[in-house]
Amino acid sequence: MDDIEAPPGKRVLVVDDSSLVRLYYRSALENAGFAVEQAINGIEAMEKVLSEPFDLVLVDVNMPRMDGFTFLRSLRSRAGDVATIPVLMISTESGGQDVAEARAAGANFYLVKPVAEAELVRHVRVLAGVVP
Amino acid sequence: MDDAKGRGSQAVHIAAEEVQRFCEFLYRRTGMSFTEGKRYFIDRRLEDRIEATGSPSFQAYFSLLRADADHEIEHLINSFTVNETYFYREDHQLRCMTASLLGAIVSRKKPGGTVRIWSVPCSTGEEPYSIALWLMENWPEVDNYSIEIVGSDIDTRALKAAAEGIYGDRALMRLSRGVIERYFTPVGDGNHQIDEGLRNSIEFTRANLIDPRDMAQYRDFDLIFCRNVLIYFDDASRRQAAENLYDCLLPGGYICLGHSESMSRISPLFRVARFADAIVYQRPEADHG
Repeated sequence: MDDIEAPPGKRVLVVDDSSLVRLYYRSALENAGFAVEQAINGIEAMEKVLSEPFDLVLVDVNMPRMDGFTFLRSLRSRAGDVATIPVLMISTESGGQDVAEARAAGANFYLVKPVAEAELVRHVRVLAGVVP
Repeated sequence: MDDAKGRGSQAVHIAAEEVQRFCEFLYRRTGMSFTEGKRYFIDRRLEDRIEATGSPSFQAYFSLLRADADHEIEHLINSFTVNETYFYREDHQLRCMTASLLGAIVSRKKPGGTVRIWSVPCSTGEEPYSIALWLMENWPEVDNYSIEIVGSDIDTRALKAAAEGIYGDRALMRLSRGVIERYFTPVGDGNHQIDEGLRNSIEFTRANLIDPRDMAQYRDFDLIFCRNVLIYFDDASRRQAAENLYDCLLPGGYICLGHSESMSRISPLFRVARFADAIVYQRPEADHG
């Protein structure tokens, strides 16, 4: 793995209903120099993005209460800068349907689980604007 | 005749038949069976409890115990369970889990499905946290499934410590520096507290392995770690515990025992499953008859 660290202050919101999965992503991203916040579903994620600045949202598709697609569509329909936060969607679905729906909802990129740590960090760096 | 150990102490003398009565009581309540060879172990703990409760004699203490005054049974159980362990203990089983067992388990599940793992007894949390850490560090599919880890113990004091997740250097001796830095925070006195996310990801509950009603709350596990506890039970309790554990497993689910324990000698319900890293026991996929 390369060891370019993220500039301090780049903030990522990790949204997944599984605490172990959140910890897995958080640990990988903090190790790469990002500041990480967490949310357990789309509703909590929306509250966080509306009250704090983030450079990227990493969101799971399947979650109880508000899923990733609903969150993303709702985010993109907001007024102001918050609507333009880069979003990386992660799903267990490798078929084309989720990819198409993610694109249509406004995802900047889409990864299928399992996501290796190095791969996750690479995409997050690009999307959060750490590397071009 | 046995007061060599009590040199200069105020220890209450406990007669052989009293120890026997006490052991019978302990067995009925917990299934833990201690023979004469464990006399020193029993006397030490019994003396501690007699002193802690301010009882003037064994007889007085035993009355208090039978009445369960101030939850004395629980305090007693806590003093009898051996709580010292460490992270990544018997790591060949953890390797077996990620190299072999989980592959077989998830082959029966959909992506995103739930994998349930039970650590019983979990003592002060080292084992369930080790399972979680090991999965995050060694299982590429960790984010592909919803993993539920439950840690249970009969000892409520141990469970409280498990939920707090504070450990000394000795408990962490098998972990790499990288893992310690990523998942632990120093909290002074050479102690480390495990990550809050990890603490929240494990459910800690009280369970008595030989109590079928207690155990009926625990179902649908894919994998159970039940290490170094059945050795404390006598044959009847051991068999009861094994049958209870069988019911807690999903068909095809696995159970890992301690390295000196063998399920084959306890119950015919399980099938032996041999892997490169460990021998484990499996609830057959389809029950016979």
